[in-house]
Amino acid sequence: MKIGFYPKLAAVSIRKNKKMFAPFILTCVGMVMMFYIIMFLGVNGVSDDMIGAEFVRSMLQLGSWVIAVFSCIFLFYTNSFLMRRRKTEFGLYNILGMGKWSIGRILFWETLIEAAVSITTGLALGIALSKLAELGFVNVMRGQITYDLKVSPLAVIRTLEVFGVIFMLLLLNSIRQVRFASAVQLMRGENTGEKPPRANWLFGILGVLVLGCAYWIAVKINDPINAVMWFFAAVLMVIAGTYLLMISGSVMFCRLLQKNKRYYYKPNHFVSVSSMAFRMKRNGAGLASICILATMVLVMISSTTCLYFGEENAVNQRYPRDINIDFRFGELKGLSDDTAEAIRRDLQKMTADAGADESDVISYRAAYVSGLLLGDTVELDVRNVDSVGIDTMSNVWQFYFVPLSDFNSMVGEDISLGRDEALVCVYRGEFDGDTLSFNGGRSFNVKKYDGTKFEHGEGYILSQFMIVIVPDLEYATEGIAEMTDALDERMLRYRMKYNFNTELDADEEIALCDKINELLYSTPLDASYMEATYGAYASISSREENRQDFYGMFGTLFYIGIILSIVFILAAVLIIYYKQLSEGYEDQGRFDIMQRIGMTKREIKRNVNSQLLTVFFLPLSFAALHLLFAFPIISKLLMLFGLDNVALFAATTGISLCVFAVFYTIVYFVTASAYYKIVSGIGERA
Amino acid sequence: MSYLEVKGIRKVYSQRIGTQTVEALKNVNFTVEAGEFVAIMGESGSGKTTLLNILAAIDKPTSGSVVLDGMELTRIKDSAISAFRRDNLGFVFQQFNLLDTFTIEDNIYLPLVLSGTDHKSMRARLTPIASRLGISAILRKYPYEVSGGQKQRAAVARALITNPKLILADEPTGALDSKSTDELLSMFTDVNSLGQTILMVTHSIKAASSAGRVLFIRDGEVFHQIYRGGDSNEQLYQKISDTLTLIAAGGDVK
Repeated sequence: MKIGFYPKLAAVSIRKNKKMFAPFILTCVGMVMMFYIIMFLGVNGVSDDMIGAEFVRSMLQLGSWVIAVFSCIFLFYTNSFLMRRRKTEFGLYNILGMGKWSIGRILFWETLIEAAVSITTGLALGIALSKLAELGFVNVMRGQITYDLKVSPLAVIRTLEVFGVIFMLLLLNSIRQVRFASAVQLMRGENTGEKPPRANWLFGILGVLVLGCAYWIAVKINDPINAVMWFFAAVLMVIAGTYLLMISGSVMFCRLLQKNKRYYYKPNHFVSVSSMAFRMKRNGAGLASICILATMVLVMISSTTCLYFGEENAVNQRYPRDINIDFRFGELKGLSDDTAEAIRRDLQKMTADAGADESDVISYRAAYVSGLLLGDTVELDVRNVDSVGIDTMSNVWQFYFVPLSDFNSMVGEDISLGRDEALVCVYRGEFDGDTLSFNGGRSFNVKKYDGTKFEHGEGYILSQFMIVIVPDLEYATEGIAEMTDALDERMLRYRMKYNFNTELDADEEIALCDKINELLYSTPLDASYMEATYGAYASISSREENRQDFYGMFGTLFYIGIILSIVFILAAVLIIYYKQLSEGYEDQGRFDIMQRIGMTKREIKRNVNSQLLTVFFLPLSFAALHLLFAFPIISKLLMLFGLDNVALFAATTGISLCVFAVFYTIVYFVTASAYYKIVSGIGERA
Repeated sequence: MSYLEVKGIRKVYSQRIGTQTVEALKNVNFTVEAGEFVAIMGESGSGKTTLLNILAAIDKPTSGSVVLDGMELTRIKDSAISAFRRDNLGFVFQQFNLLDTFTIEDNIYLPLVLSGTDHKSMRARLTPIASRLGISAILRKYPYEVSGGQKQRAAVARALITNPKLILADEPTGALDSKSTDELLSMFTDVNSLGQTILMVTHSIKAASSAGRVLFIRDGEVFHQIYRGGDSNEQLYQKISDTLTLIAAGGDVK
């Protein structure tokens, strides 16, 4: 059968321009593949009996949509590169008498071929690799592995739908560009935007300000709750700042260098500075995109690997012992010596009945409250503070009043205190006062005690945290015990912790937990401590049971982090490749001229090299800078996941950065050689 | 000894595939005295461009020698050739070859910057040249902002600023309208009258008729030459035109 004219023309032009098309189609294939795999895992990869299946599933769903949206934006971006180079070709067709409608038909067939090739290949690869992906996924989730290859029709249909739409949009956009341009404009397409940029001081300074502001926020914030609130604002600011800075700031910088006649009119600087200034504006956006993508990859990889490898750490932090019981009371009476004694006795009995021994017991009572620490005065009621801002929020502390007797028996000391004396352990934050006064309550003379000796077992306190050990709880909390907040709830609460290890295995431990839980609520052996009047309730959690939850959650995050990183890296590499390619074509002519005027090949090469290096490693250094400033705020965010291990995070961040830098350098050399290939051969042409 | 001596230049291009060779220049001989304005004419394919590339030290002849002011071009080492070119030769091209990344001023400075001249003396050199060529007002502009004629004047300024021994012009009027062509040619005459040696390759009779001497190249050899003597531009134009008609007819001029 004879193939139609237009499809043939389309096929030929794809083959002719394969240097431009191949990376584009490869990217499409990659995106389709990633989308299918994530979709597939969302549909098939998560078994219902897995703990936290809902969470994992919704995370995967979210991940697949992120890929879809990103693919759309990114394919548009790369397609614009293609179109810019091909406009000349279309202009020629147009001048030779081919109507816009016919060019539209060529575009249609081209897009169809691209779409067919990339979607089929992408799906085939996706299906082939989905098993591998599933194995990897199940592995990071520490789940059971099955060995049958499945195809998810739903995921296939979704993929077809999403990428069908994306390709249609691409086609419409290309047609629009051809439709509204005259033949002459099309012919000039590749040379448009030859205007040298003027430095835009306003945008440049704005960029510096926005970026500085984002950095300031990231460094200044020191508690996780605020970190969440400000994180996304900071991210948006960093993105905006990076774009502003790279687009106009870099031009500005080059202009400043040009103003400095002594520096500028030197053989080594003259050509590179001017062509950098010239190039920055057009490529500023590309550089900023590379920088943002690199930063995203680094943040994602470093934080998710940190979570993944810190799983054990997080579990232990959150659940300091095998079995963790927390009693809460509405009134101080719940913390009476008798009640506490009864609770301890009964729990020991229950554990003994289950045939286990308690060890490493954490057992103490506490009256707790949160407030603002201003100097050495504690303000419990925010309504008494004039202005509440980001600074006030960083003064929030948790205060635990712990009876001296519990403390002494926990640390094995025999300390005695006067009524107005307090032993203070500071955990997160700084406090140096000699006295501590609660506004509306007591004041204490402070004695410092090394907090590490007293294991409080509270894994979930995110703010600054202080334990105030007092001889008499009732006396110490007088005045503040009755305070109520805006909702008329009492501010001071009461709790008792009882955490311990057993030598039981995982299943027995979970069973014991269930049993204690049941006993506490249904048939208390000695119900006196659960009297309704005290408003008591107890929560009990076993480390084993929750460990699987953590693995599910962190494993999914890790996995999605890796997949999205691959997608973003792919995108960054492609942007770099197209940048080098288009710059190469652009520079051919310039090098020719320079050589004719009397520049040696060595001088040219040196100039090109320094230029390439600057342009190439600018995004990487900025990404590293972003990462450096993001470090404090992200380590705060990790606390929300129960991970409080800055050393681990520093390690994963450092390793991620190094690996990425190596990878980036490899990409640099590969694309730089493509660039040299284009610009070289000057001698032969001259 | 003459200022520029071209002796027995032969240039053979060999195809990359196969053994076929093309002889672009057979045996070119001519001399140019200091302060002369010489035009080289010939049809396309006659070897004009090859000759110019050899004179510009961009290309090397297969045999023969080129001596400029006592220096043998073919003997200059590769590493020194670029420096030689920017110190001794000035170029004016058909397509101007200005770099779009530089202002007109910086374009003119380019060869000086490459030889490490400081900014002050560059400025000092530029000022008289710019006012003579009438481009003082556009120095701060970029090439895309000025007309073709202005670009070519900037290119001439770039060629002049190094005080070269020889200016090589390759179809300098090829991309200009007739008004700009007239301006450029009178500029060349003007510059030449101050003692600048110019060698211009062209196939425009008009351009050639402003030179002091015209060389004709055919089939890789200098075939004929006309001296201006006391002729006006118009008379020289007529002579060139007659000669070209004869060449086209395949006749011999003697």
